[in-house]
This record gives sequence, structure tokens and C-alpha cells, in this order.
Amino acid sequence: MTRDYLLVWIVLAPLMSSLVIGLLYLYSIKVSKVKNTIFTTLGLISPLVSFLIAFFFFIQMIGNDTTFFYSAYRWLGVDGYDIDMGFMADRLSIFMTLFITFVGWLIHIYASGYMRDDEGYGKFFFYFNLFIASMLILVLADSPIIMFIGWEGVGVCSYLLISYYYKDGENVKAGNKAFIANRVGDFGFIIALTMLFYYAGANGFDYVNLSHGVQNLSPTVLSCIGFALFLGAVGKSAQIPLYVWLPDAMAGPTPVSALIHAATMVTAGVYMVARFHFLYDLIPNVGLFIAYIGAFSALFAAIIATKQTDIKKILAYSTMSQLGYMFIAVGLGGYSAGIFHVFTHAFFKALLFMGAGAVIVALHHEQNIFKMGGMKKKLPIVYMTMLVATLAISGIPPFAGFFSKDEILLTAFASGNSFLWLIGVFTAMLTAYYMFRLFFVVFYSKNYNEKRDIHYVPKSMQIPLIVLAFGAILAGFIGVPEALGGSNMVSIWFENWVKSPLHVAHSTEYMLMSINIFVVFLGIVVAYLKFYNYDMKQKLKLSGIIYNKFYIDEIYDKVFVEGIKKLSIFFSLKIDINIIDAIVMGSSRGFIRAGEFVSRMQSANTRHYALFMLVGVSMASIYLLIVLG
Amino acid sequence: MDFGILSIIIFLPMFVAFTFLLLPVGAKGTRNAAFVTSIIIFLLSFYVYQNFELSGFMQFREYYSWIESYGINYSLGIDGFSLIILMLIATLIPCAYLWLWDGRTKGYWVSMLLIQTGITGTLFSQDLILFYFFWEAMLLPVFIIIGMFGTGNRVFSTIKITVYTIMGSLFMLISILYIGVAFYNEFGSWSFALNDVVQITSLSRTEQIWLFFGFMIAFAIKIPLFPFHTWLLETYSNSPTGGVFLFSSIMAKLGVYGIVRFVMPIFPELYKEFAPYFVWLGIFGLIYFGIAAIMQINIKKMFAYSSASHLGFIVVGIFSLNIQGMIGAAFLIIAHAMATGGLFLLVGKMEYDLGIKSIPALGGIAKRAPLFTVYFAVMLLCIVGLPGTNGFVSEFFIILGAFGFSKVAGIVSALTVLVAASFMLWMFQRVVLQDSGNDVSKMRDINKKELLGMLPLAFLIIAMGIYPDWFFYKIDPTIQHYLRDILDVRMAG
Repeated sequence: MTRDYLLVWIVLAPLMSSLVIGLLYLYSIKVSKVKNTIFTTLGLISPLVSFLIAFFFFIQMIGNDTTFFYSAYRWLGVDGYDIDMGFMADRLSIFMTLFITFVGWLIHIYASGYMRDDEGYGKFFFYFNLFIASMLILVLADSPIIMFIGWEGVGVCSYLLISYYYKDGENVKAGNKAFIANRVGDFGFIIALTMLFYYAGANGFDYVNLSHGVQNLSPTVLSCIGFALFLGAVGKSAQIPLYVWLPDAMAGPTPVSALIHAATMVTAGVYMVARFHFLYDLIPNVGLFIAYIGAFSALFAAIIATKQTDIKKILAYSTMSQLGYMFIAVGLGGYSAGIFHVFTHAFFKALLFMGAGAVIVALHHEQNIFKMGGMKKKLPIVYMTMLVATLAISGIPPFAGFFSKDEILLTAFASGNSFLWLIGVFTAMLTAYYMFRLFFVVFYSKNYNEKRDIHYVPKSMQIPLIVLAFGAILAGFIGVPEALGGSNMVSIWFENWVKSPLHVAHSTEYMLMSINIFVVFLGIVVAYLKFYNYDMKQKLKLSGIIYNKFYIDEIYDKVFVEGIKKLSIFFSLKIDINIIDAIVMGSSRGFIRAGEFVSRMQSANTRHYALFMLVGVSMASIYLLIVLG
Repeated sequence: MDFGILSIIIFLPMFVAFTFLLLPVGAKGTRNAAFVTSIIIFLLSFYVYQNFELSGFMQFREYYSWIESYGINYSLGIDGFSLIILMLIATLIPCAYLWLWDGRTKGYWVSMLLIQTGITGTLFSQDLILFYFFWEAMLLPVFIIIGMFGTGNRVFSTIKITVYTIMGSLFMLISILYIGVAFYNEFGSWSFALNDVVQITSLSRTEQIWLFFGFMIAFAIKIPLFPFHTWLLETYSNSPTGGVFLFSSIMAKLGVYGIVRFVMPIFPELYKEFAPYFVWLGIFGLIYFGIAAIMQINIKKMFAYSSASHLGFIVVGIFSLNIQGMIGAAFLIIAHAMATGGLFLLVGKMEYDLGIKSIPALGGIAKRAPLFTVYFAVMLLCIVGLPGTNGFVSEFFIILGAFGFSKVAGIVSALTVLVAASFMLWMFQRVVLQDSGNDVSKMRDINKKELLGMLPLAFLIIAMGIYPDWFFYKIDPTIQHYLRDILDVRMAG
């Protein structure tokens, strides 16, 4: 292909525009003001350019399973071993790129409305474009080390955006927390990179060579690499035990949450497991472990979400829960199901956050759902679109989430892990419950403050909602299962390079679907009974172990943060000053004392001098006697 | 080279320093002369860089007899490893001068010039006695610059560091003399040339071990390695900005350089034999200093610990006995010099404007000084080892090297991704970002000179992270030469 070089422009477009925006922003604050429209134009064009180029590659892949490679330059060559700055577009990466750029673009449009009065408008778009660029490097890289560059770029962008309102130390703390938790994961990632380099990288460090390299490794080595890599995914995709950063990441502006949760960042872990399918296919036990971590994360997050009051935190826990589903799928080898859920999730989760953001803006930055209520009349477009998104995430057919979640549960059931399936179904019920709890309390309920003043929600914030709502309705149709008369285009798209999911009889599928839909309705009904006519006047009970998120944050704080602080003081005060430096200074004091002793001998007292002479002469005589014998 | 370009690079600053010391020129004139000198040296060094051939051997050699009867010669030369440190010195010093531009006295500039001579002399010396001479000569202007222009308990600090390092150097001097005598006994003539003393075979194992540690103590104090680090805290805290800049970014690296230049070729067997101890000592230092940094209140002390932590990691690289570790170490020498040097300049400016170096008394800088903050963030991310900066290339390759050396060492050294992040981000939050209600109204953003001065550092940090190969090819043959010819280790693929 002669147009392979275009591949690099998918990444370069947002990267370059972010640099230009960044420099313009500095010019703007230091020299003379630059109009916001320039930032908006640059910021909005670049993801669109990336999307169009990705679409061009997508078209070429239809019907034939071509993989495009483009190597920009030799990144580092050591003793004949070269690592290239290389990019690769295969069916997985181009599929990811399409919705990252598209949903990312919509979030950019939304952000141009949400952030329009912010004085750091240019800076915001600098970070935003850089975020997209990093995510695209991550997805399109042709080797794990280039992927890691994007991986960390995503991490640092999330840090910058979470601590965007940096004047308040708490926000920066949330950013730090995200970065450090991700870094714990990176510890695993970098060990995996190292092991891949030594054990599987003899012929090259790109995925193609590595996939050959891993074939003959011992199961122990493979499992070590698999676990270490997965630790990275756990950090980035906020699973147990490294999820703690995700709820706090709400400190950033709402479009940031939408971007982190829908298009970029958290999906990277799922993508990574799918990308390394050649490794995980060889170690199904590690895959099962991943699936269990996913299942427990899904359940755990859903339980916590049922008691939260902050609209963004509820959504954050719902993300963690949905990511858990994705890990169930990819852990069991159902890569197409997992990526399908990543895809549908991108639409409805972006929509949920942007809808929540619209409500928050309308209520002057109120985030407690129990101080909202009755928003149906005030924000009809937001109401409609949020309803679609809530139905989608709950898994009501024919909305997007139904098909992808159903396929995951089917994968779990068909692989014989009925316990995983059970957790999945139970979590689906909880999901429907807590999402409709949020929905009813925010848009219905009674006795809310009627006289409050509703802030204007700009068009640029509402239009993306409508587009995404169509996405949340339609996105699922690309993966309609055969049992429902569809042809599941998603699994056809991926069939050539991942092992196809296990097949079960259509009758079993119908049964599973019915159970699914039944429990979801159960969840909705309970939520309806409790919250449709919720009385805002009544006092909330804000306590209990679930409301306090099982005290995990407090435990981490006590054990890790406080522990390491104590250790730091122990090292720098006790050991360094009281022991090591005391010895150093003590020895120098020894010299001083020796000097004082010698100087005391010079007492100007003739009798002393005579004594010293006597001693000296006697010693010399004894020495001579011994030596001369 | 015929015209002795290395000698010019060494002695030009000293010549300028003494000339201006005698001339009735004020601080400004001396400063301008120092700046022009540093630019000329940069151009000369760049000429050396461009004409440096891709081989692992000494180039640009100069050789004159000095004290003929004892075989002490004035012998200079550079290889790829010294070349990168030379480029580091040549690039960093003019940049630093732009940051030190105002408010320094004549004596300050004279001292800075003299330090430059000491550093480059140490770097080029191919004769043990000449090396020792420059090594000690370097201390004299340092003594002056801390003692006269430092802050806090500066006289105590300057005496402590001087006595401490001279003590260490004495062990090295004894080792050097012992080696000279051994050479005389074996070959019947005096020589202290590195090329000659590596041929000595008559030393017993016990003697070699003593001599090895004689050198290692001197270098371990300079680097510093645990437990020889306590001088560092007071020195870094009380030094004036120029002093601490040169200390952290260049002089500490000369300890590492000394190990590679002298200890490795003179004692290749012991180097390999004791490598595990130093790899683990380095890893220990990395983690120990990193943890100790977290709770520091004085920002300069925090950076002192941070610096020691990274230098420990460099030591891991040079003792890992494989090409990955060595590359990583070479990269980290550069990355750390730029980032830590840059951070000390930034913090020095903050101290100059506000008179504060206590972390809880700062905060809210970002609002007042956005460009300052951008530079601060770039340096910080390099220290943290973010991909896209040269800090990552170094960290990753040292981890590869450590893993190649021993699997456990590799896994433990991967903790580096957590170490710097844990204290750096928290510091950044409290010092630069969050509004703590402290009065920082005297903080001004960086001016044009400072903007220009930090630009090369920030540019190189990122350029070397995005395109490391462009910088690496010059040093590759040298490192291969070390491993194949000197250490004779099997190359790992």
C-alpha cells in the first residue's frame, strides 16, 4: 500500500494540534490574547481528521484482512537490535481508533460548550488533544514499548486533567492518586516488557515477532508475563485492587470524565489484553483469573454505586462495573465480545457523563442527586437522551448495551463458568437498579426546590447528546446475535484473528436472554417503587459500610500512605541523621579531641617537656636495642 | 588534533578567570566574559562532537611530559563516554549562566569558571596523577563558592564537604601511588598513564581488593552511594544555585565516570566480581533515598535525596555488565543532569525571588508564573521517567540491564517507576499548584533570558525521549568496547 504513511497522521493530527494549541495558549497568557474560536477550531478539527483517515483504512479492510504497517523511524538501535517507532492498523486497532476518534470528537464539541467561560480554555484543549493523541499511539503502536509511550501519555494527561482545577489541593491529590495507582500498574507492565524482551523478543520487539516468540516459552514464564501485563491493565482500567483512583478522578471537569470513561484511558486495559491475545490464548488459567477479577470488580462497584449520592461518582462506579464485564469476556477469550462492549459502552457512557454534566451546569455545579429532582421538565433533551443511555447501560433490548452485555454473559455461560455468569446476571440487576435510582431521583421525585434558577445549557452541549443517543440506540445492531436473526458483524470482523466464541444452542441463548431481561426489569421495578416519587424533604441516611465504600480508601491510606511516610521519617531522621551522620560527625569530633589532647601537651611547662623527652629517649633506646639486638 | 582543542577547552575558563580577576572589571563584565567563554567552549565541544569518529577508542589525544623522572604526563583524550559528559557540560553551563545572570558578584563568576576547568580537566585526563590533580583542584572553587555565597550554615557545610571528599580522595591517592610503584617494580620505569597501568599483572588479589576499594571510596563519596551521602543534604541545601547546579548535574556524575574510566579497566576482574554488591547497593540507594525524600520539608534537601536516588540507579546500570544497562546509565547521566540541573535552577530562582525553600511555605506558584510551571513540569516528568522524555529511555534500559544481570534485581529495580512519582507529584502539588494561602506575590515569571536558557534542556529531554537513536549512535561503539574488550563479557542479544 502506498498510502501507509497516512497511518502516522492519525496520531500526528491531534499531536500537532495539541502542540500548536499549547504554544498559542502560552502566547495568549503571556503576550496577547488569542480568541477562543481559534482553540476550538484547532481542537475540533484534529480528532475529525484522525477519524476520517481511520475510516479510510477501515474501508480498505472490509472484505480482506489486510494489516497496514508504517514505521516512522528507528527509535533505538542497540547492537543490531532495532526498535522502531512503528504503527500498525489491523482490525482491532482500527476498530478502536474509529470510535475513539468519533466519540472523542463529540466530547470535544461538548467541551467547547462546557468550558467556554473557563480562563484556561486553550490549555484544556491542549490537554484534550494530547489525550486523544496518546490514546491513538497506544492503540496503533506496533510494539509494546511504543504502546507504553501512549499508555503513559494517557496517564499523564489524565493527571493533568483531573487536577485541572489545581488551586484546590484536593483536586491535585485526586490527580496524584490516579497517577500513582496507574504507576503501580506500570510496575507490572514494565516487568512484562522486560520479560518479553528477554524471553520472546529475540527476533524483534513488535507484536508479530513477539507472537512467534511466545509460542515455545514455558508456562511459568508465560504466566508471569501474563500476570505482570494484567497488573498494568488493572491500574489503567480501574479494577480491584487498583480502582481507587477512578471515583476520585471526578475532580476534573465533566468532559474529562466523559473522555476518560468512554473514549480513552480506562478501555486501554481491555484493549491491551485483547492485543496480547496471542499470549493469553496460551495461558487460559491466567485468563480465568482475569475474568474473576473482572467479575468481582463488576459486582463490587455495582454494590457501592447503589448507595452513592454524587451523580458523577455513581457513574464512575458504573464504569468500573462495566469494565469488569469486559474483563470477564477478554479473560475467557471472548475478545470480540469484550471489544464490542467497549464499543457500545463508549456511546452510552459518554452520553451519561455529558448528560450528567448538563444537569450539573444547569444546577450551578450541584452534584448531589438528592438535591436535584424534577429535571424532566427543565431539560427535556437531556431527559430523553439520558433515558436512552440508562436503558442502554441497563441492558434493555434493543439498546446498545443489551447486545454486548448479553454476548459477554453468553461467553461466560458457554465456557462453563456458571459462577461468573451468575455474578454477571446479579450485577446486571444491580446496574438497572442503581442507574434507574439515579434517573428517577434526578428527573422525577417530588418536593424539590421549585424556585431554583436554571443555568443555560448551550447548544454545543446538547447536540452531541442527541448524536450519542442515536449511537446508544443503534450501536448494538452491529452485533446482533444469530439467535435473533442477526449476523453479529462484530465477531465476523474479528473472526480471522481470534478464536471464535463458544457456540450454544439457540434455545439456551433464548433462555439466558430471558433471565437477563427479567432480572433487569426486576431492578428497574424496585428502583421505580423506591425513587419515582422520592420525597426530597426526607432525611438521607448517609452511613453504613456500603456508603463508605467498604472503607477501602481509609485502609489504603493507613497502610500504604501513612506507612511510607513513617518509613520516610525513619530513614531520613533516625538512620541518616541519628546514625550515619552521627558517626561521620563523631569521627571528626574524634580528630578534634585528638588535636586537643596533643595541644594540651604543649603546656609551656618545662617539667612536662622534660618528661616527654625522657619518654621519647627511652622509647628510642628500647627500639634500637630491639632492632640492633 | 594538532592544535590541542581539549587543552583549550580545559584552560580557557581558567585563563579568563585569572585575567578578569586581575583586571579592574566589575561583576557584569566578568559575567559577560564567562558567558562568552561558555559559548566558545560549547562551539569547540560541538566541533569535537561532530568530528568524533564512531569507534570505541580514545580520540583527540594530547600528550606532553610533565614530571618526567616519575613518569607523570599531561595526557588527554576522550572516548564516547567522556564525549557525552563533555556535551553535557558544554550545553548546561551557558544555559545555567542565563539563569544566574543577575545579582551575582565577580568572585562568583570567577569561581564558576574555575570549576568548569576542574571538571573538564578531570574528564579528559588519561594519567592517574593528572586526574587526581584536577579532581582535587575542582574542590577549591567549590569551597569558595559555598563558603562565600552559600546560605544557612554555609561555612560548616563547606568544611564538611571538603574534609569529607578529601578524606575519600586520600584513599584514591594512596591507591594511585601504590599502583605507580607496582608498575615501577614490574616494568622498571615510572608511569601513571592509564594505558600503562592496566598492564600490571604483579598485584596479588588482596592488594587488588584494597586498591579497588581505595578508588571506590573516593568515587562513592562523590556520587554519593549509601552510606556516604550525609554531606549531600547540607551541601545542596546551603549551596548557592550555581554551585548546587554544577554539583548535582555534573560533579556527581564524575564519580560514576571515574568508576568507568579507571576502576573498570584497571580491575576488570574485581569489577565483575563485586558487581552484584554494587548493583544491589545501587538499587538499595534508589529505594532508600527515594523514600527518604518523601517527607523532606526543605525542597533542596528533597532534590538532594532525589538526586542520590537516581545516581544509585546509574550505578546499577554501569555494574549490570550488559549493553542495556550501560546504555541506560549513559542516558540517565544525561537525563538526570538536565532534569535535576533544571530543577535546581528553577528552585534557585524561586528561592531568589521569595527567599523560601520550605515546601509548606510555598504554593500557588502556577498562577503567578505559568512559564516557570511549564518548565518545572517538563523537568519533573523527566525525573519521574515518563515515556516521551529521555528519563524513560534511561529507566527502561537500566531495568533491562538489571534484569539481564539478575532477574530479582530487574524486578526490584522496576520499582523505580513508583519511587520518584511518589514524592515528586506531592511536592509539585504543594510547591507549585495548590493555593496554600501563602504570600508568593514576589514570585515573578521567568524572563526572556531564562526562557531561552531552559529551552535547550527541555528540548533535549523531549527530543532524546522521542528519538533516542539520534543521540545514541555516538556512544554505542564505546560501550561495546567496554564490554567486549575490557570486561570481556558475552553480549546479550
